[in-house]
Amino acid sequence: MATESNTEPAILSVRDLKTYFFPDEGTVRAVDGVSFDLYPKKTLGIVGESGCGKSVTARSILRIVERPGKIVSGQILLQRKSGNGGGGVADLVRLDPSSPEMRLIRGGEIGLVFQEPMTSFSPVHTIGNQIIETVQLHMRVGPKEARERAIEMLRLVGIPKPERRVDEYAFELSGGLRQRAMIAMALSCGPRILIADEPTTALDVTTQAQILDLMRQLQEQEGMTIILITHNLGVVAEMCDTVVVMYLGRVVEQGPVDAIFHAPKHPYTRALLRSIPSIHATTRTTLPTIAGSIPHPYNRPTGCPFHPRCPEVLRGVCDAGEPELQSFAAGHDVSCFLYGKP
Amino acid sequence: MESRVRLLEVKGLKKFFPIRRGILQREVGQVRAVDDVTFYVEKGETLSLVGESGCGKTTTSRCILRAIKATAGQILFRPEDGSVVDVATLPKAQLRPLRRQMQMIFQDPFSSLNPRRTLLDIVAEPLVANRIGNRRDQLDRVAELLRLVGLRPEYMRRYPHAFSGGQRQRIGIARALALNPSLIVADEPVSALDVSVQAQILNLMLALQERLGLTYLFVAHDLSVVKHVSDRVAVMYVGRLVEMTDTQRLFATPRHPYTEALLSAVPVPDPRWRSKRIVLEGEVADPANPPSGCYFHPRCRYAVEACRTETPQLAEIQPGHYVSCHRAGELHLKGIVA
Repeated sequence: MATESNTEPAILSVRDLKTYFFPDEGTVRAVDGVSFDLYPKKTLGIVGESGCGKSVTARSILRIVERPGKIVSGQILLQRKSGNGGGGVADLVRLDPSSPEMRLIRGGEIGLVFQEPMTSFSPVHTIGNQIIETVQLHMRVGPKEARERAIEMLRLVGIPKPERRVDEYAFELSGGLRQRAMIAMALSCGPRILIADEPTTALDVTTQAQILDLMRQLQEQEGMTIILITHNLGVVAEMCDTVVVMYLGRVVEQGPVDAIFHAPKHPYTRALLRSIPSIHATTRTTLPTIAGSIPHPYNRPTGCPFHPRCPEVLRGVCDAGEPELQSFAAGHDVSCFLYGKP
Repeated sequence: MESRVRLLEVKGLKKFFPIRRGILQREVGQVRAVDDVTFYVEKGETLSLVGESGCGKTTTSRCILRAIKATAGQILFRPEDGSVVDVATLPKAQLRPLRRQMQMIFQDPFSSLNPRRTLLDIVAEPLVANRIGNRRDQLDRVAELLRLVGLRPEYMRRYPHAFSGGQRQRIGIARALALNPSLIVADEPVSALDVSVQAQILNLMLALQERLGLTYLFVAHDLSVVKHVSDRVAVMYVGRLVEMTDTQRLFATPRHPYTEALLSAVPVPDPRWRSKRIVLEGEVADPANPPSGCYFHPRCRYAVEACRTETPQLAEIQPGHYVSCHRAGELHLKGIVA
């Protein structure tokens, strides 16, 4: 696996994670053998189109996968915060989702920012109350201190007049401010890892630029590690150090951001990069496309999940077996039969 | 290019929504959603309306289709017979024949198709509503339309749930084309689609335009997509048009500071382009309570005293390049270098 010249050990390692959903109609292999390492103070991007399992991966890490979903196998190894009896490595898969330990990790060590800030805040509580609740759950502080902490967090994420905004409801804030408040809440208990699931997808470009700027700045200040989940390759190029590309629950390629964008190896990564309209391209030309569409999760193709749409498919090979993720260069892994036999 | 017919001309379009309060529902103010917008669309071209949420791009397009009635201004449309009609003031009875020539493609392919009707019902509906042909003709026409948008005619008895997002958007396009319209208003037609599918739909729209001589009014917020499909682009900010010119020129040499900031905010899928951007301070102005002078001045890094007091007018600073900025003549703004 990614053997980069990182001196520090990985803060979070996901090993062969499988999260399946068992609705009445059959099994959906939403996450099917995902592995990656997250290094401290770096930003890891998980990209892919709808149904690739990127959000389920995030939810699996936080153990908030909803029924009928279940982690079937694999490991999620978290380097615990040292102090207060911590330290060492915890396998989150083995923890009970509702155990006190998991609840401490959720929010306390790993924060989450959702895509839609409107639906993730309660509409009947002020944003201040919601942040104060989080703070009181995780830190031993009184209501007054918690309120001060909430105001301080709102100020940190650049919300003007935080001492007034703290008593407002989510609907009173604009989209950008709401997303800032969401980030404030996720960071209120000082987590070391922030998982941001499509944090800017519902925002306008200029607001998006503000939020990305804020995340970068907070990372520098607080030494935070970020997992950024998005479908927007522009955002990935902008923010990430390493990139994991997913397709139908599998990691097809992962590596340093420059390698992924300038020397992509997997046919899916290549096709995806070619098919996005670039602001640098000439106008009104035909875009290269990926044939077909993403298969329905019930009709998952056999063999490599991408083979029916792959321009470089090897008949008799790609439809027969599933390729394993293997190292192509230092820290750059590909799962494709074009690069060596199974 | 010069002699091309202007299929649509919008002059001084305004749409204000009243703000009502209290039990008497007294009007206490107005949201100036579209505030004096002027532009034109030539026959056979694609004009994109871009801007951020709340800038009035969708309201403008809905006024053009007369889904809502404009507060003031003219919307001059040239039907095929060569006459000129003002859509903004036309009595309701005379709208119907006109509506055949203006059709719409919607953003969300999941909510814009009735799940309880088959493809045949959906695509044939405009034909049925306008009493065109008998059932046989309608069936043939639907088959032809489905082929045109790249779907198999055998699918026409199926329901929308059997199709993916991209295929549903094709169904929406087939429905829009059923009556041979001349103008198609596409409101964010690809923003709900996955990247790999987005390219297919954009290619289809370009191919159909060439084949059928369609004119597109394309409403979008994604500037990479806009650059890809448009001949000309009009940029809106808080209900006003700030800049309009042909695509190449707008992206290479923007003349309005808002356009410059907007272009620079687009994340480029190339790590080498990192952090070369202008991050705008503050928030988009409130159209119910807009700032004085130029609406953009509180966030503009080039603002001078005049910007605070005087509202700039849209002016043609070069043939075909319209800008509403007091300093358009003196500023050298950064565009996107290809």
